[in-house]
Amino acid sequence: MSLVTSLIMRQMRIPIIILIIGYAISVLGMVIAPGIDDQGNPWRMSFFDAFYFVSFTATTIGFGEIPYTFSNAQRTWALITVYITVVAWFYSLGKIISLVQDPLFREALKESQFKQQLARIPDTFILICGFGETGHALAKALTEQNIHTVIIDENKDIIQTLPLEDFSLVIPGYKGDARDPEQLIQAGLQDKKCAAVIAVTASDETNLKIAVTSKLLHPDICVVCRSELEEFESNMFSFGTDFVINPFETFANIFSMAMHSPSLHLLYDWLTGVPNTDLTNPIYVKKGHWIICGFGRFGFDLYKQLLKSNVQVTIIDPSIKKRDAFLTLPENKGNDFIIGTGFDERTLTVAGISDAVGLISGTDNDSNNLSIIMTARELNPDLFIVARHNKKSNEKLFAATHANLVMQPNEIIARKIRTLLVSPLMIAFLNKARNQAPSWANITISRIMGALGESLPCIWTLHVNDKEARALCQVLRLGRVIRVENILQNPRQKENQIAAVPLILKRNQKLLLMPTNDIAIKSGDQILFCGTPSALRSMLWSQNDLHSLNYIMTYEDTPDSFIWRKIHQFLKRKERRHRPRQKRHLMK
Amino acid sequence: MNREKVVFSFFMILALTLNFGFYAGEVDNPNHHNVYELFAVIVVNLIATVLKFGDRSQMGAMLLATSLVALVQLFSASLVWAYVVNIQGSTMTPDTMSTIISLSGGAMIANFISVILLIIETSMMRH
Repeated sequence: MSLVTSLIMRQMRIPIIILIIGYAISVLGMVIAPGIDDQGNPWRMSFFDAFYFVSFTATTIGFGEIPYTFSNAQRTWALITVYITVVAWFYSLGKIISLVQDPLFREALKESQFKQQLARIPDTFILICGFGETGHALAKALTEQNIHTVIIDENKDIIQTLPLEDFSLVIPGYKGDARDPEQLIQAGLQDKKCAAVIAVTASDETNLKIAVTSKLLHPDICVVCRSELEEFESNMFSFGTDFVINPFETFANIFSMAMHSPSLHLLYDWLTGVPNTDLTNPIYVKKGHWIICGFGRFGFDLYKQLLKSNVQVTIIDPSIKKRDAFLTLPENKGNDFIIGTGFDERTLTVAGISDAVGLISGTDNDSNNLSIIMTARELNPDLFIVARHNKKSNEKLFAATHANLVMQPNEIIARKIRTLLVSPLMIAFLNKARNQAPSWANITISRIMGALGESLPCIWTLHVNDKEARALCQVLRLGRVIRVENILQNPRQKENQIAAVPLILKRNQKLLLMPTNDIAIKSGDQILFCGTPSALRSMLWSQNDLHSLNYIMTYEDTPDSFIWRKIHQFLKRKERRHRPRQKRHLMK
Repeated sequence: MNREKVVFSFFMILALTLNFGFYAGEVDNPNHHNVYELFAVIVVNLIATVLKFGDRSQMGAMLLATSLVALVQLFSASLVWAYVVNIQGSTMTPDTMSTIISLSGGAMIANFISVILLIIETSMMRH
């Protein structure tokens, strides 16, 4: 018995017993009370009559004195009956209403609702701990890819408004403290369907605790963690956390990618962005003198990347301690460290803003960052500006500055985790792409643009197995050869190809970048595609529906039903009979 | 002393004794079986059943099951009575009486099992 029913039953015991006793007394009294029938003989109600009378009286329906007009003794008892049973009913109803309003009962109801929603998830789900901006962006992206998610968050309001938000799947929300293992289990950590845990709360310490709990209680689960501090990061890795994502480091890598190869950065931006948004333009990071304002975690990570590409860097930071540490390191020779804040004209001029090519405003205060950008723009309008954006509410302000690159920690983490979970092959693709010549990225970009047009592509993986590509596997088992170009054929019109580009093929741990059209698909392959949503739908048809697959392989629309199949065969045979005759005729 | 258990035992045993009182006598003789006694058995049994609502222990669920069985038997007995006397409009015959009594006999067995379960539960308590 569930907790909710048990609670209701327990609470209803006394009201029901009071009703039973009230009814019993009333019925008994009605049976005993002496009456007179229509002929004037002494008469008493049977239990049947009495129960009938009490039932319609107690519920205030009141059919009257049935079957014969009552005697005074019966009327007296009927009066008592009315007061006993009607009061008993009111008491019971009041009890039910107060039970529904009981906070304990409501909590139990919510918990059982959550459990039901959890049980209704058909395959696997991902548990997201912390429903802040990152968690929200992630939940949105994952549900759009048809991946179920479950939320645990401390904030009651967030969980309560969850059903009101516009997600394409139902997201069960659990109100609880993710640091408490018991509550994590309640939220579904040990559920067989739980495939991954994502810890994206604001505090590194909480994330660490979640990662430890998850790895201990459900060891074969994938754990992804957000971390901003290095000591937590190494701690998380030490017990086998699968992915630790540091927004600063991730952004520094993206920055260095943009610096070395703008086209590769553009490719990254397109393939990891939110599908169906507008295509972004390439970013050209200039090499030359750079100024970094704010030498915290963000400034330091970017400085390391700038150091690698041998450009001159000037750092502005108010901390003397940081300067002393900076100057002792030998690799920092030739780069200046100026004590100051950066949002005043003087410091920027001393740092050489007039002949600098780029400025990084990387303090942890949004107002300071905005002020730095405004001042620097006035002094040198051609600057390439990298802005650190800390609070989501300032989004409009940062957009108004037209900074060339804006680092938004939540967006970066959500993008990375989405790529990790939705298309793991994408990581392999990007790693391979990094080792290619710069011209390769240009060719790939023009290919994607030619196939897709104006908006960012959907990314999907074709798994050639019986579960996800039934028809494909069936045909492959028959020994037919299916090539990449076949699967790119449109199952509706044979002349057209679908708007999709194969990015990488994985076969027995071997990776093949940009597989060509003539490669034959084998069972067990995984192919990563990018393309339009309609291309994805078309491909789902041809990989799962035998009829569609047959069509794209042979360009013939074969009938499915028995009678049409027979007619089709008959017509074909007739055709064949004609053809040899023609040939013979020609040979003569 | 657990008051909940005492109250439940009272109603359970009362249900059994009343049931026996109704059941005792010649099977087909309407004079040996009092309709008031049947009424009392049903009421007491109803109360005993409701007292086990929401009990999540194994023994509680078993007791709920047995008293529900008794209730089903008693309700069918009273329905037979009501049908013959009030709907058909005939007088009580020995045939009908024996049907009613055998149904109440079944209820008595169910109530008897409840009491045995009650005794087992009580003897299992350590304090």
